[in-house]
Amino acid sequence: MKKFYGLFAALLVAAMILPACAPAEVDCSKEDVFCVGLVTDVGKINDKSFNQSTWEGVQLAKQQLGANVQYIETSDAKDYEKNIATFGDANYDVVVTVGFALGEATIAAAAKYPNIKFIGVDQLQAETVNGVSGLSFPEDQAGFLVGALASMMSKSHKVGAVCGTDVVPPVWRFGEGYKAGAAYADGMNGTSTEVFVVYHSDVGFDKTFTDPEWGAQTAKSMMDQGADTIFGCGGVTGNGAITAAAQAGGYAIGVDTDQYLTLPEAAPRMLSSAMKLITPSVFDLIKAAKEGTLQSGNVYGPAGYAPYHDLDGEVPAEVKTAMEKINADLLSGAVTTNVPPVKP
Amino acid sequence: MDWKRYTFIFLIITVLFGAVVMVGISKSPPILTITSMLATTIAVATPLTLGALSGVFCERAGVVNIGIEGMMLTAAFFGWLGAIYMYHVFGFEKWPSIFTGLIAAIFAGALMGLLHAVLSVTYKVDQIIGGTVINILAVGLTGFLNRQLFFGKGSAFGGHIPNSPGNLLNIHVPLTETLAPICGGSTSCLEIVRAINSVLDQRPIAISAIVLVFVSHYVLFNTRWGLRTRAVGEHPKAADTVGINVVKMRYINVVIGGALAGLAGAYFTIESVPSFEPLLTNGRGFISLAAMIFGNWSPIGSWVASLLFGASQALQINMQIFRDAIPPGWGFLQQAYIVGLIPYILTMLILTGIIGRTIAPAADGTPYEK
Repeated sequence: MKKFYGLFAALLVAAMILPACAPAEVDCSKEDVFCVGLVTDVGKINDKSFNQSTWEGVQLAKQQLGANVQYIETSDAKDYEKNIATFGDANYDVVVTVGFALGEATIAAAAKYPNIKFIGVDQLQAETVNGVSGLSFPEDQAGFLVGALASMMSKSHKVGAVCGTDVVPPVWRFGEGYKAGAAYADGMNGTSTEVFVVYHSDVGFDKTFTDPEWGAQTAKSMMDQGADTIFGCGGVTGNGAITAAAQAGGYAIGVDTDQYLTLPEAAPRMLSSAMKLITPSVFDLIKAAKEGTLQSGNVYGPAGYAPYHDLDGEVPAEVKTAMEKINADLLSGAVTTNVPPVKP
Repeated sequence: MDWKRYTFIFLIITVLFGAVVMVGISKSPPILTITSMLATTIAVATPLTLGALSGVFCERAGVVNIGIEGMMLTAAFFGWLGAIYMYHVFGFEKWPSIFTGLIAAIFAGALMGLLHAVLSVTYKVDQIIGGTVINILAVGLTGFLNRQLFFGKGSAFGGHIPNSPGNLLNIHVPLTETLAPICGGSTSCLEIVRAINSVLDQRPIAISAIVLVFVSHYVLFNTRWGLRTRAVGEHPKAADTVGINVVKMRYINVVIGGALAGLAGAYFTIESVPSFEPLLTNGRGFISLAAMIFGNWSPIGSWVASLLFGASQALQINMQIFRDAIPPGWGFLQQAYIVGLIPYILTMLILTGIIGRTIAPAADGTPYEK
């Protein structure tokens, strides 16, 4: 029996030590040392989606502003506070928290660490909290654009969206915007398109964005029902849907970034992506923080749609013109999506 | 054979399918709804079936295996890693790389099985704790390696995750081509044939899972080796007395169980999507454990139970697809999590013995001491 205890202890110790990685030591409390920390949502830093885009913005700050940068990947929703506090206790200058789910923890941390500027990506602020800048994007407009595109490009007039949980307002806005966009294009062209939007709301925050197998199956299910264009909106779950749609020969539409560049396995069938220009927006906010001009409260970044890349030849000229017009109309306010900021 | 239980489960699946057909009738022809749901059900049930088979082999030999989740996760990672290394580092072609990944996954699963066997058979560790250790170890190991290999200093891939060579795709059964002449010019006939064809076009691991169900059932209940396995799980002392090597039988079965969990892991990264994400098995190993109990520790039973879990996922997806057509007053059907509860409620019902008791192997979970 003694032998077993040794082995067992070794295994447990290995299991506990392996996930922990200590950040490099720099003294962030010094005046001339500018430190930027990033806390991810439960998705990982390399999710090819919003965590990654934010991290790229932080890395721009490293290159151009000489910032010391570090990230912590959250593996359990219970650790949000603890992970933010790691940067707080190390006297970081700016802490970027990624995702709606970290909103409350970020606001709480701002009260605890008044000297730190917090940037909350996808965190719409109900009221202005000192020290917290909530970066939001008009996801409904981005969804609207690709919804219109899907409606105009679908041959079967059935299009689908596979999303994370609708409890997260940005995700819900993507889905609703997608529907509204398809309906708008239908009205323009006299077509009638059926839109399937399926959310992965049956699981918690910890799983809803990290379930590519579910995404792939859901996309396949929609395609079995006749859909030929699939919009994947929701981190890695959406990536699964995009890959499955592309492999089945449908049109795939990405989210957050130009996923043509991040999902090479789906690239040949990537029609476009509903983009939130996270990377430049995050960089701009960090720069403003360094210069001391960062405003607390809500800050809005731009939305848009990605180029057609490989499928450029398949998109008719009139569709391209229509898309440019819709984009311009959304920016000018001539067309509105009528999607409320949060699910009623 | 547990016909009463199977009939009950199939009845439930029929009700689930029927509900979707009724709701979606204005939007989609019934045949399309049914075949689409069937295809989803079979595919979704694949990792659950294989995971449950893994549990069946271990527990029939008397070793409780709650480490299926960890075995799957480890296998999913190493399968994907194997494919990537063969493709990028050793410069192999696409298909040999994917095939290597598949082998690597099964091997990794078997190794985790071996670890479980060492802990629980040789060192007689409490098997629940042994399984828990495997689950924790798998999360740490895969998360750590994933980061170190691709983002660590001196990583061969320079800070990014390279393309996977791809994944296993559908095997096309040429049913439509064969039956097209019979249909003549009738489009509705062609539609039906095409819809049925879409159910048959499954991916290789999904097909092998179904084959393995029947092979396992035959092996466990109709061969000498299966009889010995069950003897070791029911009454190891008696088995030992008649000259069966209890330790050896348990080792072999737990390693087989690990390999099956490995194949389930391969489903995630080699078949379903060509990428790995930390924690991507998302608790499916535990669901397969429920499927195994639901199926009364028999391969066919576990498969049928896995199909029920698959059907409930198909139901969730399709109820959302037909969201607008749900009749007023039935709004709760839109709540994906309520629908998702069905299999768990049924599992609890079954455990209470309403539809026949489930009986675990008598020596399940007890280490054998001479």
